[in-house]
Order: sequence, then C-alpha cells, then structure tokens
Amino acid sequence: MNSAAPLAARRRQRNAAERRFRLAALAAVCLSLGFVVFLLGTMAVEGARGFVETRVTLPIDLKAAGLTATDGEARFAAAIDDAATRAFGRNGPACLAEGSWMHLRDAVRQDPALLVRPGSIELPASSPVDVAAKHDGTPAAEAAVARLTAAGALSRGIDWAFLTGADATDPVRAGIWSALKGSLLTLTVTLLLAFPIGVLAALYLEEYAPRNRWTDFIEVSINNLAAVPSIIFGLLGLAVFLGTLHLPRSAPLVGGLTLALMTMPVIVIAGRNAIRAVPPSIRDAALAVGATPVQVMFDHVLPLAMPGILTGTILGLARALGETAPLLMIGMRAFIAAAPRGFTDPATVLPVQIFLWSDQIDRGFVEKTSAAIIVLLVLLLSMSGIAIWLRQRFEARR
Amino acid sequence: MTTTGLLFTIVGLALIGWLSARMRAAAFRRPAIQRFGSLPVHHAWVVALWVLGPPLTFLVIWSLTSPALVTDRVLASPLAAALPASAFERASILSDARALAQGSGGVFHPAAVRLAPAYAAAQRHYDWLASAAALILALAGGVFAFVRVSPAFSARWRLENGVVLLLLAAALVAILTTAGIVGSLLYEAARFFAMVPAIDFLTGTRWSPQVIDPADPGASLGALPLFWGTFFIGAIIAMAVALPLGLMSAIYLGQYARPRTRAWAKPALEVLAGIPTVVYGYFAALSVAPRVRDLGLFLGIADASSESALAAGLVMGIMIVPFVSSTADDALRAVPAEMRDGSLALGATPSETIRHVLIPAALPGIAGGVLLAISRAIGETMIVVMAASGVATLTLDPFASTTTVTKQIVDLLTGEAEFDSAKTLAAFALGLVLFAATLLLNVVALVIVKRYREAYE
Repeated sequence: MNSAAPLAARRRQRNAAERRFRLAALAAVCLSLGFVVFLLGTMAVEGARGFVETRVTLPIDLKAAGLTATDGEARFAAAIDDAATRAFGRNGPACLAEGSWMHLRDAVRQDPALLVRPGSIELPASSPVDVAAKHDGTPAAEAAVARLTAAGALSRGIDWAFLTGADATDPVRAGIWSALKGSLLTLTVTLLLAFPIGVLAALYLEEYAPRNRWTDFIEVSINNLAAVPSIIFGLLGLAVFLGTLHLPRSAPLVGGLTLALMTMPVIVIAGRNAIRAVPPSIRDAALAVGATPVQVMFDHVLPLAMPGILTGTILGLARALGETAPLLMIGMRAFIAAAPRGFTDPATVLPVQIFLWSDQIDRGFVEKTSAAIIVLLVLLLSMSGIAIWLRQRFEARR
Repeated sequence: MTTTGLLFTIVGLALIGWLSARMRAAAFRRPAIQRFGSLPVHHAWVVALWVLGPPLTFLVIWSLTSPALVTDRVLASPLAAALPASAFERASILSDARALAQGSGGVFHPAAVRLAPAYAAAQRHYDWLASAAALILALAGGVFAFVRVSPAFSARWRLENGVVLLLLAAALVAILTTAGIVGSLLYEAARFFAMVPAIDFLTGTRWSPQVIDPADPGASLGALPLFWGTFFIGAIIAMAVALPLGLMSAIYLGQYARPRTRAWAKPALEVLAGIPTVVYGYFAALSVAPRVRDLGLFLGIADASSESALAAGLVMGIMIVPFVSSTADDALRAVPAEMRDGSLALGATPSETIRHVLIPAALPGIAGGVLLAISRAIGETMIVVMAASGVATLTLDPFASTTTVTKQIVDLLTGEAEFDSAKTLAAFALGLVLFAATLLLNVVALVIVKRYREAYE
C-alpha cells in the first residue's frame, strides 16, 4: 500500500507525458497541413482578383468626332480621351487603360452603327482605378472610383485577355499566354528528348547491363544527377549550349535541352522500378516460345512497365514545368511582348513570368502574379492527378 | 540546308530504305521453300538503322566542333586583321557578329557589323559541307546495308546488336551529362582561379562583385560570407523548422494516426513538395518577410531587414518538411517490429517506445535523410533569390540581411557583364563549390543509410 501511491503518481505522470507527446506530434501535422491551406488559400484569394477586371462604361458619340473605321491609333485615342473628359471630367482619360483605343476600334469594326449614332462602350479601367476598385488604392484613384461609381459607370467582368494576352508593362493588359506557350514549347523539347533516352537507358540498365564497374559508374551518375541542385544544370546549359554550341539565347530549345538533362534521371529511376516490377515469368514465357531478347523487351516487358514509366515521366515533367532557376541562367527572363512562334524564338516560361512579375513595383501586378501562380498550380495539380490515376489503374489491374 | 530540313531528309531516306528493304526481303519468302531466321521487318530495320546511325552520329559530333571551325575561318579572313588584340574584346566582337549573322537584333559593336557577313559566309560554307557529308553518309550506309539484304543474312541478330548499342548510348548520356557538369564547372572555375587566387576566394570576407578592382580582383571576391549565409539559412534555420515538424509529422502519421487519416494526410502533406519553388519565393517575399521584419522591430532589433535570413529560412524549412517526414517515416518503418513489440510488452508507453527504442534504432536513416534535406536546402535557389538580400554579411543575427551562394550565382550571371570577366566566372567557381558540397552530402548520406540497412537485414 505504501508503494502504490508513488506508483500511481508515476503512472499518471507517464500517461501525461504520453498525451503531451501525442499532442505535439498532432500539432506538427496540423501546423504543416495548416501551412498548405494557408499558402493555397492566400494564392487563391489574391489570384481570383487577378482574373477579374474592372470595366468602365463610357458613353460615346463618334458622329461628332467624325471618325471612320479605317482611322489610326491617334484619332481613336483622341476620340476616347474626348468622350472620357466629357463624361467623367478632367481626370476621365486617366481612368481608362492604355490600350483602350483598340477596344473602340474593334467595337466599331464589329458594329459600324456606332460611328453614326451615340452609344456606349465598355472599356477596361486603368491599373490604379482597378486596384482602388478591388481594395485600397491611392487617394486620387479612390476619388476617381467614387466618382465613377456615382455615375454608375463601373462594372466587373472576367478578364479573358489575361489568358490570351502576352506580357505588357501595364498590369491591366498583361497576359500569360506567351509564357504558357513558352512553357509548352520547352516541355515539348524536354519530353521528346528525356522520354526516349530515359526509357532506353532504363531498359539497358535493367535488361542488359553486365555487373561491372562501368555499369556501377552509370548508376551512380544517374542517382547523383537526380540530386544535383537545379541551378547547376543552368550553369551547364549556359556553358555548353550557349557558350560552346552557340545555340540561340532565351530559346525554348535551349531551355528544353537543359530541363531534359534534369528530367532524364527521374525517368530512368522510375523506369527501372517499373521494369523491375514486371514478373520474370513473362520474360521466360516469351523467350521459351522463341522471341529474341529485343522482342521480349519491346513486345512484352515495355508494355507492362509503361504505366509506371508514364507516371514517373509525368511527375518529372511536372517538376520541369515548375523549374525556374536553370532557365534564368540561360536567359529566359527577357520581356517577351509576343508569344514565341517556334523553338528558337526568344521566350519565357510560366514560373519565370511569375518571378518577373513579382519584381514589378506596380501594385496591379501583385494579383496578376497570384493569378499566374493559380494557372501554374492548376496545371501541376492536373498533371499529378493524371499520374495518380495512372498508378491506381495500374495497381488495380495487377 | 536548314537543320530541320536536313533531319527530315535523313528520316525520309531511312523510311525509303525501310520500305524497299522490306519489299526486297518479302520477295525471298514467296517460294516458301525454306524457313528464314529473319522476318522482312528485321531487314527493314537494319537498313533504316544504317541510314540513320552514321549521319546522326556525325551531326552530333559536328555540332560540337563546328563553331570553333567557323570562328577560325572568320579570323583567317582579311577582315579580321583589324580586330583588337585584347582577347576579351575580340571574343565580344565575335559573339556580336555571330548574333548578327544569326539574325538577332540589338546594339552591336561597329566592328561586329563589318564582320557579320564574313561570319554568315563561313557558317554557310561549313553548313553546306556538313549537309553534304551527312547525306553521303546516309546514302552510303543505306546502300551498304541494302545490298546485304539476302536470305542468308541474319538481320534479326544484327538488329539485336544494333538495339543494344542504342540502349548503351542512351545510358551513356547520363555519364556525358555528369562529365559535362564537372568539365564545364572545372574549366570555367580554373579560368577564374587564374585571375583570383583560390585562397582569397575561399577565405576572403569581403564580397562586393559590383565594384571589382582590376588590379586585385580577389580583394572584393571573398566568398566566406556567402558560404556562411548558405549554411545559416539552409542548414540551421531551415532545419530548425523542418526537423521537428517533419519528424513529429512522421511519428504521428506513422505511429499514431488511423490508416484512414494517414491515407489522406500523407498525400496532403506531399502537396508541399509539389509546389514550385518560385511560389514559395513569392510567398516568402510577399507574406512572410514583412511579418518577420515587424517581429524583429517588435523585439527591439532596430536593423531588422525586410530581406532577412529568417524569412527565407522559415519558408525553406516548410518546403523541406515533406522530404524530412517521408525519409523519417521510411526509417521508422524499417525498424523491426520485434523491437517495438518488445518495448511495448515491457510496459513502456508508445511515446517512450518511440523516444527510447524506435528513434535510436532509426537514427542513421533519419540522419541520412536530414543530410539529403540539407543538400537540397543549400542548392535551393528561387526562395533566396526572391526573399534573401544581395548584401553579404557575416552575422549570427537571423533578422539581418544575408545572402547565399545560389542567390549570388543568379545575380552574377543575369547582369550585363561579359562572359569572360572575373564577375561571371566567379559564378562558376561558386557553382563548383556548391556542386562539391551537395555531392559530398549526398554520398555521406547514402553511405550512412546503406550501412544502417545492412545492420538489420
């Protein structure tokens, strides 16, 4: 009885320690998951604004201005300035985005009746007004928003031009299509190089390679390449592809080559695991009925290993799609005002575009950056979704 | 002929070879008297490989050597006599002329404009030679293989050997890449160390590459503050965040959580590993850095920077969490179940079992994982480029601005400098140090993990 009391106390103490430890572990999980939610939530809230544009409804009478559909930029711009001054006062023209005259020209071409009778047209608001309408802006812009709201001229809509436009100095007009196309071109080069080379190398190492020093050396190289910091690949691309081979700077070709070297080890490692998982009975059966080693490999082993290889390839490409540092090294950070047309045109890619926009001082770019991040994350998530789907389908069948 | 056109022609020739060899081989089979070792399609592939192989190999080797040949030819032309003697200036004019000849716009040296036509001519000359040689090789290979298409020719086994060669070549690309990395880093770094003594670079404490004194470049290229900053952000601050969070998450998900919780929580945690680093960088610069600065000011640190080591390190630590947690999870699961069961049977609580049995047994695996995580953290670029500062300081204060090796590599190479100056070559020397450090960490980690695995298997 005497020893029972300290024992019970000690047990309580130990159980309390157990609960504390368990709580601490749970807290670590919650904290990490909370960070995921916080990061994605911040980006989603900020980025959603980037997809919305503020529009100004401008009453316009082109008959008085004597405009014709074939006039140039200067006359359209003057007509807009004139109408804006008349409708919203002296600061009116500053409320409209820089490229508004193009909208007017397109509207006139679509509906020539605008030239002869008074009407109204919806134009994108300028960046300060846009920022002020969504949250806090400069005092002058807030005043302009109050005036426009009083006149009932402000409205909101989805900014389709963001998905179809190219980079611009004015955040209202900046779009991500050029960066997206650059990413697609770059990934095409990466896929075309890394996939065949990676699969063939994996086949060699699993099916043919004799156990000797050379094979060990190849294996060590591949495993080590998978862990080399990505910026080192950028230095390699700079020294070899630009410095020695004189390939064009900033081109998707060079970016794709650099990323292919980075992605290849990932594909080789995934490919080897998938090939190793093919049951040996398949090989034995095929060899027994007279197939040659190459026939066994391409007709039996490879088709069975393909889902696993494809999963690894998609994950490798997803990593390449999100990669920024090596592409900065090879000059894919230029201001690209038009979408690249080929593999050797100067281009930029989505992550680099995000990096460039994040450096801009204009507040309008903050939400554009987040919107571009959303586009990038949606692409990456759908790629990993496809990879997971492939893996599950594959595992279910076996 | 353009490269694309040439490649299409060669592939077209291969297709013609494939079809005609198949037709020819199919003709042997008509009498159906004897059985052949090879199918027509085997003959067809042998011919196609003979058409493709030689010219493509030639073109790969050619693309590595021809730029030097073109430059030599331009330098041999009378126009080049007017070039300045200085090697740097000469190289910059030549690269301008090359850019002009390739049709890119921009501002160029007047000498380059004069030299551009000569460059274009030399380029055309060698392109023409290469195209002709490639086509001749393709035709010769095709004819050589085609005349050997006969019933006695064992195309099937030739094809086997050809495919094995192809596979070997693919596997060698990995070695070539490694050799390319080591070679280019060593070559450029050697040029750098010819200008700046290695001892100044490795032990100097003053880093200000914006103003380099040509007489003594080593005085402003001391990289010690960068090494310290990299270690401070990547190995100390980031690990202080990632190790407890990652290890405790692994313990909870692996030892306490119900299978259903684990099934969704583990992939959710791995989302962190899939987020591109540029997003982390943006997040660090936009959301974390200002708050860290406010915290520093609140704590009474007057010089708290908005580009502090703490902000970059915190976010980097979060990025590494799933990595630490998955390696720790693997290591904990690899501990034999008997050890855990024995401890529990003796009356130890689960937490006592974890702390006194599982973690000591899994320690080498966890340590290996941590080393790999550090290697990843010090090689991480975008977070520090966007959130850390460019000012190199040797400081222990996490609120002060600190810079890292990767951040400086990006800064040095994205300026307007010449490719040959001490400033850009310094980036390659930094790259070499980074490569060596990550290689060392990876090798040590692998050795630790391997030894430990052997102990239990």
